[in-house]
Amino acid sequence: MSAFINNFPVLAVMTLFVGGFLNSLVGRRHAVLQKIVVLVAVTGALAMMLALVKPVLVDGEIITYWLGNWEPVEGWAIGIALEVDALSLFFGLIVVVAVFVSGVYSFTYMSRDDSLVNYYTLFMMLGGSVLGLVLSGDLFNIFVMVEIMTFTAVALTAFRSHYEGALEGAMKYLVVGSLGSTFLLVGIAILYSQLHTLNLAQIAALLPEQSDNPLAGVAFAFLFIGFASKAFLFPFQPLAADAHAVAPASISLMISGVLTKCGVYGIIRLCYILYQNMDLAVVQYLVTGFGAVTMFICVTMAFQQHNFKRLLAFHSISQVGYVITAVGLGSALGVSAGLYHAMNHTIFKGLLFLTAGAVQHQTGSLDLDGLGGLSKKMPSTTALFLIGAASISGLPPFNGFASKWMIYQATFQKGVETNNFFFIIVCVLALLTSVLTLASFIKVTQSVFFGQLPEKYKDVKEVPLLMRVPMWILAVLCIVTGLFPTQVQNWLLLPATNAVFSAASYIDAAMGEGYAALHNIVSSGVTSLGVSTCWSPLSWLALLFCVTCAVTIVALLGGPDNKEDSHVSTADENAEELDPKYEPFFSGEESVYSQVGGSDLFWGFKHSWRKYFTFWTNWHSGVVNDYTLYGVVVTAFVLLACIIVL
Amino acid sequence: MTDLLFNLIYVLLFPGLLFCVVMGVLLAGLDRIWVARMQRRVGPPLLQGWYDFLKCCGKETIIPRHGKKAIYYGAPLLGFVALITISLFLPVVNGQAAFSGTADLVVILYLLTLVSVCMIVGASATGSPFAGVGLSREMVAMISYELPFVLVILTVSKAVLAAGDGASYTFSLQAIADYQAANGPLITHWALIPAAIAMLFVIPCEVGMHPFDVSEAETEICEGTLAEYSGPPLALYRLTHMVKMFIMTALFCVLFLGGISTGFVVLDTLILIVFCLVLTFLTMSLPHAVCARFKTEQVFQFYWTVVAGLAAVSLILVWLGF
Repeated sequence: MSAFINNFPVLAVMTLFVGGFLNSLVGRRHAVLQKIVVLVAVTGALAMMLALVKPVLVDGEIITYWLGNWEPVEGWAIGIALEVDALSLFFGLIVVVAVFVSGVYSFTYMSRDDSLVNYYTLFMMLGGSVLGLVLSGDLFNIFVMVEIMTFTAVALTAFRSHYEGALEGAMKYLVVGSLGSTFLLVGIAILYSQLHTLNLAQIAALLPEQSDNPLAGVAFAFLFIGFASKAFLFPFQPLAADAHAVAPASISLMISGVLTKCGVYGIIRLCYILYQNMDLAVVQYLVTGFGAVTMFICVTMAFQQHNFKRLLAFHSISQVGYVITAVGLGSALGVSAGLYHAMNHTIFKGLLFLTAGAVQHQTGSLDLDGLGGLSKKMPSTTALFLIGAASISGLPPFNGFASKWMIYQATFQKGVETNNFFFIIVCVLALLTSVLTLASFIKVTQSVFFGQLPEKYKDVKEVPLLMRVPMWILAVLCIVTGLFPTQVQNWLLLPATNAVFSAASYIDAAMGEGYAALHNIVSSGVTSLGVSTCWSPLSWLALLFCVTCAVTIVALLGGPDNKEDSHVSTADENAEELDPKYEPFFSGEESVYSQVGGSDLFWGFKHSWRKYFTFWTNWHSGVVNDYTLYGVVVTAFVLLACIIVL
Repeated sequence: MTDLLFNLIYVLLFPGLLFCVVMGVLLAGLDRIWVARMQRRVGPPLLQGWYDFLKCCGKETIIPRHGKKAIYYGAPLLGFVALITISLFLPVVNGQAAFSGTADLVVILYLLTLVSVCMIVGASATGSPFAGVGLSREMVAMISYELPFVLVILTVSKAVLAAGDGASYTFSLQAIADYQAANGPLITHWALIPAAIAMLFVIPCEVGMHPFDVSEAETEICEGTLAEYSGPPLALYRLTHMVKMFIMTALFCVLFLGGISTGFVVLDTLILIVFCLVLTFLTMSLPHAVCARFKTEQVFQFYWTVVAGLAAVSLILVWLGF
């Protein structure tokens, strides 16, 4: 049995790919069969990943699978390996859950589109490639998977090519995404030329001996920028905005929840396992700095958006910035905070994109200035959106709060330990970004779900059940992972963090016992995070207590008289014709709907920062040449820094 | 069983629901009287806030046509509950919180945010354009005071941590209380005085008192966020407003005036009440009587330059080891 379970990593990847190809064979004729193939494949991958939880996360094994049984000979790994440690499995679980939810959501959401065969084939390939990336133990294989991932994502972005800007967004993604892939390839080529191997474990063993070699630093810079471009970190964030705005919502979930995670996974793998250079101050500055800049610029850019999904896209990247910030701290607490937030980000961001998709599905619009008052028509979607918005803004007791709390702790502790003001500024930025995120989501809530319902949307209905179920799955996950931070820490974060700090056992699992010691690589692992949870069950029980008392008191004091209310509201709803004398007036002028447009909601703030906003709005020029230039310039800077210091 | 009973007392009587409400009504009543005296009026009776609450409770609730009923009722309630919960985490009396060690300053910060968010979402759910204007102003006010507030929190945590024995709780309220019990109130530490002043400015804006009440400006936008509220939900918002006066002043006492303890709960509570009264007069009544309401962008600029600057000065001083 245990031998069989070792095949699960490769089988899970294969299931998704084979499902995709099978779908293109049978799906053209039979729409039902197509859905069954997709459902079986995503469920199969999910089940296999869950089966790996016991040996990998609980027992702490590292499963290594050599394709074609090409095991290493005399300390040289020639064959292609899949190596699953707790870190890989952690991201693998995120991927399969996201693929599953997105797949189920697609069944109804995509039902009005044609050429669904192409959609599902590309979708399954996207899922398979990402899963392959996080499970792979081979650097070149990672590149291959990145390529599949990028191109399927580009194709899916342009899938609804009749949307305005769909082809444009895909084109930008294609060009700049290829730039990122190229940087990755250059980095891999340099490493291969120096070390003559592509196996991750062997590279990890050999690299520390190359610390004098300047080419190792060059390779690091290229690989870092390559992965950063896949996570859409600054300066690559405009691509994500353009792609998300036009992609179907199920694909937005994949891009924000899964593709960006590849970048995060890559950066963790690169810094902690391959180079093991996270204890160098300059690497910490580099990674944390990138994260902090990304998180702040993206959240302020979200203030400028008028498109629901573009706004969500900027927030998505802003939250990835949080993850990278935490990961860059180099402490166990930082890594676990980053991993926690990465997981939560997939959950709440997926939920938000799906609610945006639901709004788009029912109204056909994503325009924040044109929508309004949908809470009456789509109560379930509104509740789901509020849960997602509260999570991403870090309000207790949702999951975003727990992970952000850990991030603040980690940055502040890092700042105190090193007595470095840089990390305190990062901490302030993180706290500030959280408030700005909240503000921005208030704007969406106000302009989409509350406020006044435009006349043309008065027949809008709630989305079908099959679309609500995936959203509710994510919403429940939001609450569960928020209410039980201790359990999440013990079962998921601690094993994964331990894996991040156990380069030696990662090497030994692939190359044979003692290989790491031979190359003087010792790693201690992590047994505890040294911090207890912020939100113990006792306190939310107290909260619950308070709720009950407050309700009782309100009820005792004469409270809401439901009969009368329902009378009032039904009478009003039935009044079809609105009497103009009940319309709101402003200084003698008749009101138009939604006096405060989504864009003007923060006038006091935006007016005071107008120069900042003007600068960054112009910076996001929408010209792909500019975006490429930004990428190249930042790469040059990172390259310079790495050559000088590493 | 006894534990449960004690917890029940904590939550319902002291320092939970009952104590908070009594203190809130007391502070609000005194504030109104003080402002009236400074403006050469007589002012309302001390318990006017409570009378208003009772009267609102007896009134009919009218939900506007564009409103969303569940949120119209739910938001005020959740906001009030979140506020009462804060009182359980503040080590106000004897340097001990009712539930210590379960929540830290960041939790308090976010629970306070939750209170404001409940108000905003509730206002948003009424669908009124006045509420729309009000909530946009409330959001900007929130962004305004949040930056200095965060800086103050970091300053205090760093000051405590610098002297402490490497406790793992970096933002712990208990650590702050213990430190002050051992070393005297933090306000006696000269480097922290700018931060304390900044915190004094944060209080009225967080509570939404007069010169900073941009979101509820009666004369401009018909009470903005509260425009469409009536009956018991409005009563609850009014009560929330009053209790917030107590919570914010008590938070200031915890951060800067802690460690003054006689060992007797009753005496300590009296000391706390005196501090709260003085702070209410300084931060709320005085500006209320002296200043006219600020514009939204003036509030923002004032908080991000002057107040945040004061807090930042303190943070840098503490960082440099003063």
